[in-house]
Formats: sequence, structure tokens, C-alpha cells
Amino acid sequence: MEFEVQDNQANNSIQGVINLQPQVNQVQAQQQEIPIKQTDLQVSSTLEESVAVTLLRDLRQIGVKLRCVLVPTMSSNNAKELRNWDLWGPLVFCLMLALTLSLSGNNDDGPGIFATIFVLIWVGSFVVTLNAQLLGGKVSFFQSVCVLGYCVFPINLGALFTLFFSFFYLKMFLVIGCFLWSTYSAVGFMKQLIPEQKRILALYPVILFYLFLSWFALIV
Amino acid sequence: MDFGIQNQTDEQQQANKEPSNQNGNEGNKKQTGCCAFLTIEFYTPYFNVTETDVLQRIQGTFLPLRPDFLNLIRGNPDLWGPIWINATLIFMITAIANLRQIDEEKENQSFVISYVPQATALLYIIAFGTPIVLAAVMKFLGVDLSFFQTICLYGYSMSTLLPITILCYFQNELFLWLIIAYGFANSSLFLIINLKEELDKLQIQKKYIIIGIVVTMQLSLYLFYKLVFFSYVKE
Repeated sequence: MEFEVQDNQANNSIQGVINLQPQVNQVQAQQQEIPIKQTDLQVSSTLEESVAVTLLRDLRQIGVKLRCVLVPTMSSNNAKELRNWDLWGPLVFCLMLALTLSLSGNNDDGPGIFATIFVLIWVGSFVVTLNAQLLGGKVSFFQSVCVLGYCVFPINLGALFTLFFSFFYLKMFLVIGCFLWSTYSAVGFMKQLIPEQKRILALYPVILFYLFLSWFALIV
Repeated sequence: MDFGIQNQTDEQQQANKEPSNQNGNEGNKKQTGCCAFLTIEFYTPYFNVTETDVLQRIQGTFLPLRPDFLNLIRGNPDLWGPIWINATLIFMITAIANLRQIDEEKENQSFVISYVPQATALLYIIAFGTPIVLAAVMKFLGVDLSFFQTICLYGYSMSTLLPITILCYFQNELFLWLIIAYGFANSSLFLIINLKEELDKLQIQKKYIIIGIVVTMQLSLYLFYKLVFFSYVKE
């Protein structure tokens, strides 16, 4: 008997909640009809799609931004694309680099290397961006972190190459090429946002950051 | 963008708290308020240098007996030097220490990653922690120490370690001890000569406390350098 009563009470309370919601929606709908209906439709459309579609859309956005960042053609489309910063791309490349380096053969401290690379990339990006802001650059914080993270991708490629080749001078040549590519892309983005006389002070940390990462890609 | 919002709320709080001070400040150069040191604007005046300034200041550290350095930073201490000279040093320590290991063991190359957090902790604690300790001790002894000038001084004194780290690549034990000793003497002299102005405000016995702290920290830095990073020598 008690359970039934509780169930009934539960049912009543649930029904009470369900009954309240349409009243609230009606009140809101009376105030602003059209915008709520549109956002309801948008929210339900991305909530109802499959996980594969969501992931593919995010991956496609990462790919588009990667092309904008790494093929440095100073067009206005690039600038507009980069203004929609996201941190998924940097996270993916950071994890790939840390995994590649920590799983490669000649080291006995895999977890340590993973942790160091991870912390290095994120703390390094933050500090380099803070440095640019403190020197008077008009650079949006997360947009800069985003671009620095995307420019880690060539070093990722370099780390993958060094896994397959064993001749040291070939590895060095490839990694130097990847370092120059990363640095050129990142510098191309940051250069336009810093006042003239402090430009080298803002760009040297970027060079140091990618040099550090390339060094790890080469040696580990 | 988040930092932009944070700055606005800080400014709004300060505008509500101290409306009269806002008219007195010239162009919001220094912010007041209890959490001012957490905003970016608080540190912007300390980045007011160009690359030629930075190079001149680094050159001023190599000859400690000439008091050029204080004239170079008078009124305009910068924080760029301390932060990035130490970052460069961390990279160079990692690179050169691992190069030494690679040259020695061709078959069994192991890569020591622990130098990075160790070097980071060591350099930043000594470059930023010692000025804090010195400022606290001086305050306790009754004299005010210009805080950012001391941080600038300590940061640039680390630039002695730049050529020393490159030279530590060579394997000769005696040579390493010689250049470490030279670096220790150079940077200690540099610090003491440039702190002399502030130290003269103290009595003689109390001066030695400060000099003792400075010398001890430099000694620990150079010993750590030699014994931990570059101790591995081919037998």
C-alpha cells in the first residue's frame, strides 16, 4: 500500500512537473515567439544527429582551420576563419605529439615524456601569448593559443617521420624543415599584431617554443 | 576574450571603489586595488623595452666591475629579460645535457626528461624567489627594496649561465669546475655591486646578512648545475 501511495505521489509530482513546463513555455512563447522556436529547432537538430556526424563535422572544421593556418596566404577568408578559435585542434595535435614521443623506442620514461610535452605545449602557448599581450600586442588570448596549437602540426609530422627513419642526418634535415614551417606560419600570424619596435621581443619566444618541441621530436 | 572580460570587471570594481583616484592617474598607468597584481595592466609598464635595450643589458652583466647595469635599468626595470633568459637556459640545459649523453653511449641512448622540470624549478625559484626573500628580509630590517629592480637584476644575472652552459658540452672535469667557479664569482660580484646602493642604507652587520643570502643562493645554483645536470662524464 505504501509503495502504491508513493508511486501515486511520485506520479503526481512528475505529472505536476510535466504540467508546469508547457505553462512556462507558453508564457515565454507569448513574449518572444519566433526566436525560441528557431533555437529549439537548432538545438534539437544537433542533439538528434549521430555521434559520427558530430565528430566528422568537428574534424572537418579542424581540417579547414589547419589549411588556413599552415598554408600562409594572408587572405581575408583566412583571417575570418581564424577568428572562430577552438581548442580541439591544439588538443588533438598535442596529444598526438606526446603519444608519439612517449611511445618511441629509446627512452625509459614514457609517462614522464608525455607529461612534459603536454605541459610544455599548453603552458608554453599561454606564456607566449601573455608575453605578446604584455608587449602591447592587440592579440586575442584564445585565438593566439589556438594558432600556436595548430602550428604544432608540422612538428607532429616530423616526430612521425623520425619514427620511421634511422639515419640521423636525414632526421635532422626533416625536423629542421618542419621547425621552419611551424615557425614561419606562427610568426606570420603574430607579426601583424605587435608594434614595430618590440617585434623581435614578441617573436623570439615563439621561435624558442617551436625549437624546444623540434628538439624533442629529433632526439627522443 | 575571457581575459578581456576579466579586465573590464576589475576596472568596474575599481571605478566603484575609488572614483577620485581615477582622475589622478595618468592614463591608467598603475592600477590600485587589492588584486591589481592579477591584471595584465599591472605588468605592462615592465615590458617597455626594445631589443637593443635587452642586448645592452645582457652585455652589462658580463663585466660586473663596471656599474653600467644600474644606469641602464634606472627607472625602467623590465620583466622580459628574467622570464625569457631563464626559458632559454632551460632549453639549452636540456639540449646540451642530452647531447653529452648521446655522444658517449652510441648503443644505449637513453633520454633524461627529468632535466626539464628540475631546471624550470631551479631557475625560476632562484630568479624570482630570491628577490622575494630579499625584499622580505630587507623590510624586516627596516629598509625598502625596490622589488622589480631586484627581479630585473637577478634575471639578467642568469645570463652569465648562457655561455657557461654551451661550454659545459666539453667533457673535461677540471675545465667544468673552472668555468662554474668563474660563473659563480661573476654573478655574485654583479649582484653585490648592483645591490650596494640599497645595502648602504643598512648597518654593517646587517649588510652581511643580505650578502650572505645572495652568495648562498648563487652557490647553490651553481653547485646544482654542476652536480645534477653536467655531472655525467666518461670514465
